[in-house]
Amino acid sequence: MKRYELIIIGAGPAGLSAAIEAASNGMQVIVFDENERPGGQLFKQIHKFFGSKEHKAKERGFRIGEKLLKEAEDLGVEVQLKAAVMGIFDDKEISVMLDGRVEHYRANNIVIATGASEKMLPFPGWTLPGVIGAGAAQTMMNLHGLKPGARVLMVGSGNVGLVVGYQLLQAGCKLEAVIDAAPRVGGYGVHAAKLARTGVPFYMSHTIKEADGDSCVKGAAILAVDSSWQPIPGSEKYLEVDTICMAVGLSPMSQLARTAHCEMENNPLKGGLVSICNKYGETSTPGVYAVGDVAGIEEASSAMIQGKIAGAAISFDKGYISEAEFTTRYEEYQNSLMQLREGMFGHKDKDSADTEHTEEGYTLSQSLLSKGYMEAEEIGEYPGIYPAEYRSKGVFPVIECSQNIPCNPCQDACKRGCIKVSGKITNLPSVDTSVECTACGMCVVSCPGQAIFLVDETLAPGYASVAIPYEFYPLPEPGSKGLALDRSGTSLGEAEVLKVQSSKAMDETAVLTMKVPVEWSMQARFFQVY
Amino acid sequence: MRIDHHPILKTFEKGKLVKFLYDGKVMEGYEGEPIAVALRANGVMIHRYTSKHNDPRGVFCAIGRCTDCVMVVDGEPNIRTCITPLQEDMKIETQYGISNNKEDESI
Repeated sequence: MKRYELIIIGAGPAGLSAAIEAASNGMQVIVFDENERPGGQLFKQIHKFFGSKEHKAKERGFRIGEKLLKEAEDLGVEVQLKAAVMGIFDDKEISVMLDGRVEHYRANNIVIATGASEKMLPFPGWTLPGVIGAGAAQTMMNLHGLKPGARVLMVGSGNVGLVVGYQLLQAGCKLEAVIDAAPRVGGYGVHAAKLARTGVPFYMSHTIKEADGDSCVKGAAILAVDSSWQPIPGSEKYLEVDTICMAVGLSPMSQLARTAHCEMENNPLKGGLVSICNKYGETSTPGVYAVGDVAGIEEASSAMIQGKIAGAAISFDKGYISEAEFTTRYEEYQNSLMQLREGMFGHKDKDSADTEHTEEGYTLSQSLLSKGYMEAEEIGEYPGIYPAEYRSKGVFPVIECSQNIPCNPCQDACKRGCIKVSGKITNLPSVDTSVECTACGMCVVSCPGQAIFLVDETLAPGYASVAIPYEFYPLPEPGSKGLALDRSGTSLGEAEVLKVQSSKAMDETAVLTMKVPVEWSMQARFFQVY
Repeated sequence: MRIDHHPILKTFEKGKLVKFLYDGKVMEGYEGEPIAVALRANGVMIHRYTSKHNDPRGVFCAIGRCTDCVMVVDGEPNIRTCITPLQEDMKIETQYGISNNKEDESI
């Protein structure tokens, strides 16, 4: 039996953050993870995260993973990989499968940070090769450099489905459609808009009827459902796809908490069966904590903060930090966590959320919710849209941010202070028309939702320039021609690439500036290479 | 199927290119990558057939959880190919039930 002060189960964002917090206070920590590599799902997350600076916003997930690992290593945290924890017993003893042997460890405190597993949706043909989880698609393309398939159907429009859908496009796959049985897009509108403007159709109130094929997937039959989830006869469509990707939710992997006799609850708002925890993440079993997705499905950003809170609480409990120090840190972490839980996608009853208006009273785009993009006529009202009367003086930013999402890197990106997120972090950004835009492009690349564009209607008589964020390979050459697409992915006509900016600070998001007829200046939002 | 240039990740670190056997056929993959990745890159989708209904199965979760992708590797059945690293000259066979033999009645 080996003894440690603190055992952490799971080396994902929550577990590593708990380990870093505790080790930085002087505790002796070991982290067990059943996988070959640490980092949980962070290394598959190649998109920029939402939040504010302290939530590591606008950093890509895998870079956050690298930083966490480095920090843990520098603090002397022991990370034991290929180690499956099989159970938690009395007196905080655990059994671990290591190299085919069962070893026992004991600690004063245990943090369960085992994350979540993907939910599935059974339908005729769902066992055929070619039907995969969205996580499997991410693993194949972002860790191993392999396209999961050529033509993909995404089932589920939550953030996982939308983010993985975009990553499929970046990997070079064709995304034939995103479908969801719900009438509204479940994830952030900005994530949906990134797909829609490349031409990906959204079928809301649609479910999958069956996967077609004898030995592997050749196609998918989808059909519409009515408001009581019943199939609508005659609504069937057939999509020719070789891959069906399932992103229908996550469920907490809370089995270990049960073995520790933690009091459990079935909480649909948290994604299923979770242990009941106090505000520090401690379960009903004294000294055993649960943090991250295992304690309730949220984002990696919140998981990291929950880990820090538990790490700090344990450090205080064992006398490694003073009460005053703990109180200060707890308040800081808690505020940060509450910020992430604000807004219409927050950690609360989504069904009770207002789907008509933002918290400030702006009308929510119903087209964004039902089709994945905003109609041109819905754009005008938002505070990030530069008012028409000021547009003649040169280049101006257009921020197509219309939902209350906890995110504010745009205001830090503009060194001249043109962009403000006043009050709550979930408030919509507004533009200040008294500030002159230098077209540096930093706001464009810093928006994790890729919802900021720079427009110049004074480019040349009859022409405007539109600068868009661009994350596809290869980068078009200046002078090359292609199609300008509108928010729905419909071609407006030909556009010419004027310039392509990219730098280390932009972190692989290029700013592509295209020349279009001036009447498309508030419509053209994507450039498609011929 | 392989991604040559990724807009964000650029290239992928791979081991050396090695040969392996899939149901007696010589194929190539990168040492250390999951067997399932090497197979999919070669167009192999079916990893096994179920014992009762003889249904084809392939990769599903890709993280070693669902066990749908198990195959007979170097004679040993039930190897999760999505998390088992490929090695040179590995012998990988389609699994029928829990055997590498289609006609095996014992299962």
